[in-house]
Amino acid sequence: METAVSILELSFRMGETLLQSGAEISRVQETMERVAKSYHADKLNVYVLTNAIFASGAEKGIARSTELKYIKNPRTHLGRISAVNQLSREIAEGRLSAQEAYARLEEIRTIPYTRLPVATVCCIITAASYSFLFGGSVTDTAAAALCGLLLEPLLYLIEKKRMSLFLSNLISSAFVALAACMFYLLGLGDNPDKIIIGTIIRLVPGVALTNSIRDFFNSDYLSGAIRMIDALIVGGCIGIGVGFIIRIISMVTGGVLV
Amino acid sequence: MFLCGTYRMAVDMIDFDLLLQWFVQLLIAFVSTLAFSFIFHTPHKQRIFIGITGGLGWITYVAASFFGIETAVASFIAALVITWISRLCAFHRKEPITTFLICGIFPIVPGAGIYYTGYYLFMGENALGAGKGFETLKIAIAIALGIGIVSSLPRFLFIGGRKKQERKKEAEK
Repeated sequence: METAVSILELSFRMGETLLQSGAEISRVQETMERVAKSYHADKLNVYVLTNAIFASGAEKGIARSTELKYIKNPRTHLGRISAVNQLSREIAEGRLSAQEAYARLEEIRTIPYTRLPVATVCCIITAASYSFLFGGSVTDTAAAALCGLLLEPLLYLIEKKRMSLFLSNLISSAFVALAACMFYLLGLGDNPDKIIIGTIIRLVPGVALTNSIRDFFNSDYLSGAIRMIDALIVGGCIGIGVGFIIRIISMVTGGVLV
Repeated sequence: MFLCGTYRMAVDMIDFDLLLQWFVQLLIAFVSTLAFSFIFHTPHKQRIFIGITGGLGWITYVAASFFGIETAVASFIAALVITWISRLCAFHRKEPITTFLICGIFPIVPGAGIYYTGYYLFMGENALGAGKGFETLKIAIAIALGIGIVSSLPRFLFIGGRKKQERKKEAEK
């Protein structure tokens, strides 16, 4: 049987999908190499960074080289990572032809994101529960839930407008602080700090932190450093956004809020 | 009478209010981690395990803080537990470890530290702000160490039972 699809192309596409969904560097690299090896490509050399894949290889005696860049801000999609992982496992076991694998990959690339209403409900739940876990009262929890209700649509809008990392985090954290203070001034909630802490958990750079650690301990220091800077910037922006709004509000109302 | 008395003493020693509080915290951490699993689009089949990872991680943190352990060290211990459970789940559920780790780690990421750092710096309390900022970094490094140490432990620690290993070897043949 003659395979119409290129093995290297399949390998590149799998790596690209993984990287776009926010996988660790070593996983991307291993998957690409494993796929090429399972289908007996002549040669594949890969170097993966957080924002690019450099790969060159040879297949049926023809050398090919590709450089793949990817979107600036990857959207974490753990479902796609998991699906590609499963696919590469099956490929390594030799259960799929390249053609079938390619079809599966195309399916994986269309696994949908969680829809906005569901995501909003989840954001409400996380905001409310973290404000409770960090010692907020019942009214704080209610206020945090309302903030969560407002935050997720805002994040969705920001995502659509493709704003920079700085701006999107500044805006959303400032928005959270503003909403929380408004609810507090309107009489809902006892501690504005607990409301804000509960809600900003949605923005906190947990993914960047975890991935950067995983990269560091896999000795991908460059990518680890990139993601660590990412986490620092996001964390800093959240602090600045929140602090700025609280300062302004305390100046306007003429008293210390918290 | 005597038995009744000892029973009473034993019951008195256990603080039921505290246990109930911890149980509620465990449940809430479970639910919120579950909610995070939707936000990061994890596969449906793994959601319960993700919730368990987050819940147990948070309760470890709460218990450690209760026994007077410093926040950074408590975060370190919680990160150890979360990563351990994540690796166990990852092996037995045949999933990438990040599926469990990313969602499970969220409760102990220092959101409060970030908030207070920004708050104090903008309110002109520079010393307090710097202190909080340093503490936040310390917690982040503690979490990093926790994840890193368990991630680099040898694989056999996470393979529960030898049967499974043998079956796998047979499959490979």
